[in-house]
Amino acid sequence: MENSSAHMRPTGSFDSGDSVASAQDDKGRRFDACARGGSGSSLASCIRDGGGESVAGCHPERSAQRGVEGSRAAPAPASPEPAVVFEHVTKRFGDAIAVDDVDLRIDDGAFVAIIGSSGCGKTTLLKTVNALVMPDEGRVLVHGQATSSADPIELRRNIGYAIQGSVLFPHLTVEQNIAYVPTLLNSGDKDRTEAAVAKWMDIIGLPRDIMDRYPAELSGGQAQRVGIARALAASPDVLLADEPFSAVDAITRASLQDEIKRIHRQTGITVLFVTHDIDEALDLGDKVLVMEAGRAVQFAPPCDILRAPATAFVDRLVTRKRTVYAR
Amino acid sequence: MISTMFSLLVERRDWFFDLLLQHIGISLVSIVLAALIGLTLGIAIAQWRRGAKPVLALVNFVYTIPSIALFGFLIPVTGIGDLTAVVALTVYALLPMVRNTYTGLTTIEPAIVEAARGMGSTDRQLLYRIELPLAAPVIMSGIRSMATMTIALAGIASFIGAGGLGVAIYRGITTNNLAMTLAGSVLIAALAIAVDLLLGVAEKATRRHMEPKPRRSRARAAFGGILRPQHATLGAAAGTSGHSADSAGAGASVSVSDTALDAADVLLDDGEAGRMPEFQNADAAESRRAIAAALTPRRRGVTVIALVAALAIVVGGAFAFANRGGSGGDTVNIATKPMTEQYILGEMLNTLIEHDTDLNVELTQGVGGGTSNIEPGMEQGDFDLYPEYTGTGWNAVLKHEDTYDESLFDTMQQEYESQLGLTWVGTYGFNNTYGLAVSKDVANRFNLRTYSDLARAAGELTLGAEPDFFDRQDGYPGLQQAYGMSFASTRDMDISLKYQALFEGQVDAIVVSTTDGQVADDRLVVLEDDKGFYPSYLCCNVVRMDTLEKHPELRDELLKLQGTISDVDMARMNNAVETQGQEPKTVADTFLAEKGLI
Repeated sequence: MENSSAHMRPTGSFDSGDSVASAQDDKGRRFDACARGGSGSSLASCIRDGGGESVAGCHPERSAQRGVEGSRAAPAPASPEPAVVFEHVTKRFGDAIAVDDVDLRIDDGAFVAIIGSSGCGKTTLLKTVNALVMPDEGRVLVHGQATSSADPIELRRNIGYAIQGSVLFPHLTVEQNIAYVPTLLNSGDKDRTEAAVAKWMDIIGLPRDIMDRYPAELSGGQAQRVGIARALAASPDVLLADEPFSAVDAITRASLQDEIKRIHRQTGITVLFVTHDIDEALDLGDKVLVMEAGRAVQFAPPCDILRAPATAFVDRLVTRKRTVYAR
Repeated sequence: MISTMFSLLVERRDWFFDLLLQHIGISLVSIVLAALIGLTLGIAIAQWRRGAKPVLALVNFVYTIPSIALFGFLIPVTGIGDLTAVVALTVYALLPMVRNTYTGLTTIEPAIVEAARGMGSTDRQLLYRIELPLAAPVIMSGIRSMATMTIALAGIASFIGAGGLGVAIYRGITTNNLAMTLAGSVLIAALAIAVDLLLGVAEKATRRHMEPKPRRSRARAAFGGILRPQHATLGAAAGTSGHSADSAGAGASVSVSDTALDAADVLLDDGEAGRMPEFQNADAAESRRAIAAALTPRRRGVTVIALVAALAIVVGGAFAFANRGGSGGDTVNIATKPMTEQYILGEMLNTLIEHDTDLNVELTQGVGGGTSNIEPGMEQGDFDLYPEYTGTGWNAVLKHEDTYDESLFDTMQQEYESQLGLTWVGTYGFNNTYGLAVSKDVANRFNLRTYSDLARAAGELTLGAEPDFFDRQDGYPGLQQAYGMSFASTRDMDISLKYQALFEGQVDAIVVSTTDGQVADDRLVVLEDDKGFYPSYLCCNVVRMDTLEKHPELRDELLKLQGTISDVDMARMNNAVETQGQEPKTVADTFLAEKGLI
């Protein structure tokens, strides 16, 4: 119930008019709203039609580029340099294996939702990207550079990081929280930092008058928004989001989901979004990565996940979902 | 008593003010040092967790050393005076500092640290921007309790010849002047409370994010703020920040709405202000913000910095003040033991030397522990001279085991000069030897007249004496040998407290000096030394030989007092101070005038 209504809901505080418009980010890449705006009906059609041509219809991945290259039928040709590549990544904590031989590539500009039950290694996998966790085996490449050879500080500053409950720094005001990474980068340039804060507060839909508040004075939804704004304030290429909306009510969450989709469209940022909520994963992701006991069991567009679950685990995850759409 | 204390405070305000400044100097230097060292150590062990246990165990151990013992350990290293006091106080203050810093840093929510790290903070940025600010409330409360503790503890620094209000307390105890002791204690308490309040303000500032209140102001905070004109006026009148007042004025529309009234109420009830739910009337929130902005300083940080700066200035100033005139070749440093007669002798020397010569006298009265702390200070050059007793020199300083009599003086003089670089100059004339006194009741009950009588009854009695009496060869061990005297129990007590203890029946016998003013009290009986156990304790000056070489005129001054003070004179003067409440200086100057010396 909650799921289907989420797709019908108006897009919240921002002007929904631009949600279907094409956007161009600062790197000159062009993004098309593709099928995301109507993903609800497309997903439903995945089930009803049993696949076929409609899969391409709901496949949002890089459709603009592929349109230019004219190879619509070929499945996802690799762009020259993927944003993130996992090469047979394995990570153990003592005897427990957290990530087990994950090998996949995430294209630039993709929105990947990572789903799995708790303890399946999705958070650990996410942390290998910004070098908070170093793999025991294999390697992780971010824009072609291995995290093991990169300067972790530089690496992290180019990767937005929003974590569970959007842990804000309690001793800093909203403004200072959002400005945190920009001041790490260019502490001298106050004007630039202020401009960045203002820009991101607007994009994220935060009223300016809460700038001077401390996190304890914010509502849950505001805090999550500030957390996202903070992660994005330095205009990173990649955003790692680890269940950022886990601590808010359903209505606020839906509106936050809409906004992050819009931001993705507007900026073309590559998003890795960890969640334990299958609705959220199917709703947000261009592609969904299903993890089970440290292994990547399926990495496919939402349609494929629904239509052809790769394992019994995925099947269980989406069974209820399918029945909802079938209604 | 209270009124005596206040009149004393007023009468001697300059002296008390000097002591207060010295106290501030010593304790605040210790506090700042301990804060810096403790913070560094705490940060270090928070980063290097394996070191935490041993370091915390060490500071914990140091904390448990009794202060008197710690002073004792430090005197051979750092000498007598302010330096030792600062070192000891700093060492004590480390524990709360290190522990609170460590606790503050290690109890930060790991997710916050990981978020900061994941966003690309370097270790340094993580420490300064995230960890320390978040640990600040815990660290500040550590500084606060440490500061109060240090100020109180600095009261005993006078024990080792440091300045501060402890001087007044100790002198009050020694010379039986309770009002003076009380005055010193009250001033210490007042200082501690003042510093605690000051640091409380700083601590609150570090907690502002935890108890959110509208504090910080910006011009935009006033936009849309619905303010009644008088609020703006109020803000301007408060004059805390011209900028804020202006913005409040700009935002002041004339709407006399309920929300504005609410806002004013909220402002009055400051504690409520921050918790006003955000979905309440936004206008009210805005105006409350604007009013608060007009009434509070623009940035709390500025206040804190100002406070810290003020403290630093006080510290620097006070310490420089306390140390003034400490050096300089023309100063004679005189020490005295914590005995009334030595206070009087000290004042006599002070008056006489400054009256007759160009020398300045730096008088350190009543050094705790007496000979055992002053004598090492003499050898190190912290002091130039002090009044000492011949028998004590022979047994306690030269460590001879035999009983001293004046035929040994030349031998002692020769040993002092060759071994210690010190010499005896000027014998005052009185012999302050030990005596054993019992209360009248006890004397009657056991029919005591002589030491031999006492030895017979000692098994049922308690003896009270200064701690060093029980160790010295000319003290209790000697008595036990000579008379076979063995008391049922013994009690350590300060010279000045033992008479009271005797009169109150806490002890049955005490060790007295023959010149004690209170010896005349008819509630006690001084027993006869029938075997002539006690050696001679003529009072003379012990002087550093190089000081005499540098200032030959000093010898003449010391010889002016040669043979001028009899046992009776000394007891009379002691009595004048201890029971009549006269100032040692007054008594000393009166005596000098009587003798025609000034």
